[in-house]
Amino acid sequence: MTSPAPDTATARFRRPAAEVMRLARMGAGHPTRLSFLRVLLRRIKAEGWLCDRPVWQVNDQGVGHAVYRVQGPQCCYSLVAFAHDLPDDMRSDRVIATAWDATFTLFDGTPTEADIARLAANVPLQEAGRITARELTLARANRSVRLFAHVVAALAKGQQPDVEEIDAVGYLMRTTAVYGSGKFGAADRADIAARPELNGPFQVEMLTVWLIRAFTVDIVEHMARVAGGARAVRLAPGIRRSLGVGNSTGLGMAPFVVRHPMLLNNWTQAREEALARVRAQARADAVAVQGLQQALRAAVENARLWQSEHPVQRGKLADLRRDLDQLSDLLPSWDWQVPHPWNALWLWGEAHLSLEGQEALLALMLEPHGALVDDLAAAMGADEDAMFRLNGAMTVGALRDLLQQHYGWALAMDFDRPENTARFWYVSEEKLEPRLGDRTREEGAALEQPLCIARLASDLARTLAARPAAEPVASLLLAHPEHRLMLRRAQMAAGHPYAEIQDNLIGAQMLPIDMMRCKLAFFGADRFDPRSDRWIRISLFQGADYPEDITAKGAA
Amino acid sequence: MTELAGDQTRGDSTAFFSGGQSARMSQNEVAALCLKAARGAGMTWGMAEEAGFAASWLTARGLDGPRLLLAHLTAAQGRAWADLCPAVAPGAWAAPKGKSLCPIALGATLSDHAALATGLGAAPIKVGPVDQPLLVLPFLGSIAGASAGTVTMAWDGGTIEVDPAGRLTPDALAPLDGKTGVTLHLSLRHGQGARAGQREPAPAIAAQTIAGLNAFALRTTVPASDASRAGAGASSSDND
Repeated sequence: MTSPAPDTATARFRRPAAEVMRLARMGAGHPTRLSFLRVLLRRIKAEGWLCDRPVWQVNDQGVGHAVYRVQGPQCCYSLVAFAHDLPDDMRSDRVIATAWDATFTLFDGTPTEADIARLAANVPLQEAGRITARELTLARANRSVRLFAHVVAALAKGQQPDVEEIDAVGYLMRTTAVYGSGKFGAADRADIAARPELNGPFQVEMLTVWLIRAFTVDIVEHMARVAGGARAVRLAPGIRRSLGVGNSTGLGMAPFVVRHPMLLNNWTQAREEALARVRAQARADAVAVQGLQQALRAAVENARLWQSEHPVQRGKLADLRRDLDQLSDLLPSWDWQVPHPWNALWLWGEAHLSLEGQEALLALMLEPHGALVDDLAAAMGADEDAMFRLNGAMTVGALRDLLQQHYGWALAMDFDRPENTARFWYVSEEKLEPRLGDRTREEGAALEQPLCIARLASDLARTLAARPAAEPVASLLLAHPEHRLMLRRAQMAAGHPYAEIQDNLIGAQMLPIDMMRCKLAFFGADRFDPRSDRWIRISLFQGADYPEDITAKGAA
Repeated sequence: MTELAGDQTRGDSTAFFSGGQSARMSQNEVAALCLKAARGAGMTWGMAEEAGFAASWLTARGLDGPRLLLAHLTAAQGRAWADLCPAVAPGAWAAPKGKSLCPIALGATLSDHAALATGLGAAPIKVGPVDQPLLVLPFLGSIAGASAGTVTMAWDGGTIEVDPAGRLTPDALAPLDGKTGVTLHLSLRHGQGARAGQREPAPAIAAQTIAGLNAFALRTTVPASDASRAGAGASSSDND
């Protein structure tokens, strides 16, 4: 797959990478209709997938397994869910935990009993087990203990749970890892990427989480029936719909957007092209204007429910609420008759709104324009292998120019200043997870991971300065093999303007949660709630359809 | 979702493969583990990426790339770059005197130079001696693909061809398995190779291979300290 083709008609409305690829703005990202879970749900609805739950074998202790199946036009997938009885003292949302309330795998097809027996011996072990190329993901989740118990108790008594309690948490269970792409023996992405429904980024992971959401409601209703018998009731549809799947994410997610520059580019370029297309419209049609107002009302409600204790996020939430109020005041009297009225609205936003408000406005402006922008989702995947081989015939002079053009932001940084090299990324021996260290206080900087892109670019530029311009980079690399990673990356970035985060990733002021929020917004995650500057909770699929809603609508 | 991610290709920084027995590994796992192991054994990051690519490419063709890479890393660890990389010259690329080339360094350098006057696109090359020559094949596959040609790798015992689709002549591989100090005669011609075989299923990787690569990979990690533990993420209980 190639990057979205630049459209000349929208070029003058496109934001430059220097503006878009800054951490402060990336850390203000909002989910849009191009987010991966939205793309998945649109396809499932448009193609009328059939969803069922052929197996539910869970006992009165809440232990057993279930199968949730979806049937698309060509392929069928089954979430195999294992429910466990986990003592409270073993519940941790660190990725390194060893036991969970529930474990899952997404199976390619309909599993036989023999498949389920094989999976029962491996999936509950997670990292300590093995799955096969018949499986596409491996995941696990823990209950939100307080809310889960409250909902079971209420439903068992024949009552609905307290809406305030529901709103305060937003989910019954949260996942702590959803592994795809060949992890633990699962199918490689290359094996499945040709299927249209899995071609986009993270579609198997999103499908897994969407089916997990259905399981979280079924298990809570099951436990209520066990406790309350005939008195027990099911969750009211409105409450049920408001529940998502929570997720805890630590520092490990942040490096992904650095290690996959081509994906970051394609995701960002699709979103930016979508915004440019909306801005480029000569006129506004009434339906889209109505759609904007409807989306704004939903955003105001979402901002009202969005809770966080983190001081940085609280400040951002205050900005967001104020900006959405401003927009709510402005829109009724907005003049849609001016030329390029959507562009005029965008320019007003740039002049009056915080970064939070601007990025929220972007999501709002895309919302009523599905027919105009949804096709861009098809360009968000990336064939990274195709860009792996580097061009050894490029000259040192051409590479120098390339660095000047695409890495000027990095070459301007002074890495002799201690605050610009204050941190280092490394992998811990103890837990094999990525961490961020303080260079002056902690050991291990010699084992630094190559995530300090700005400094790597800067080092490469210094080496290039001393070499003849006509020398091919192939011979430069014989003398300087240490530049191979950055050189490969720079050649890729030349054709991918949004590939690099244009900030210092080892600077004293860098906040890893900004990288995480950018990625999670592309997933479609909402209610971003940092618990520190390096781990967060979010929720997925709040307010979305359940599998049975889609099948019911399809049948109606 | 620390790893909802699940890296789509090489470059994974998380989840080391931790099997204690032989296992079929996905290509992503092979690439990620071999990258880390190669880095742990002393390759630069960019060259370690090439090692991950090479091992995974071989695995996809039914060859035990991880075992070959481990054998090479074990033998070559501690040797300086200058002792492992070829002296590039038209027609003949020599190893440093009395040494044998690293197949990853040789392969990557062949790929880098393919379109230059000293490269395979210009004339056949005699190279070597080189260790674990099967690890050079993935790079010859890249060159074949990029030039829509077929690369021939001959030594005094046989010939292997790699076509533009990365297919190999199957019968000629076994004699080179595990060999060290082999001199190779490489050439590129346009068009498909005639004798290309079918792709083989990925082999199971032996527990000792996985353990050996993991031991090298662990050298890329930093021992825990109180400061690092504090900064890792949630330390609280998850019972809320």
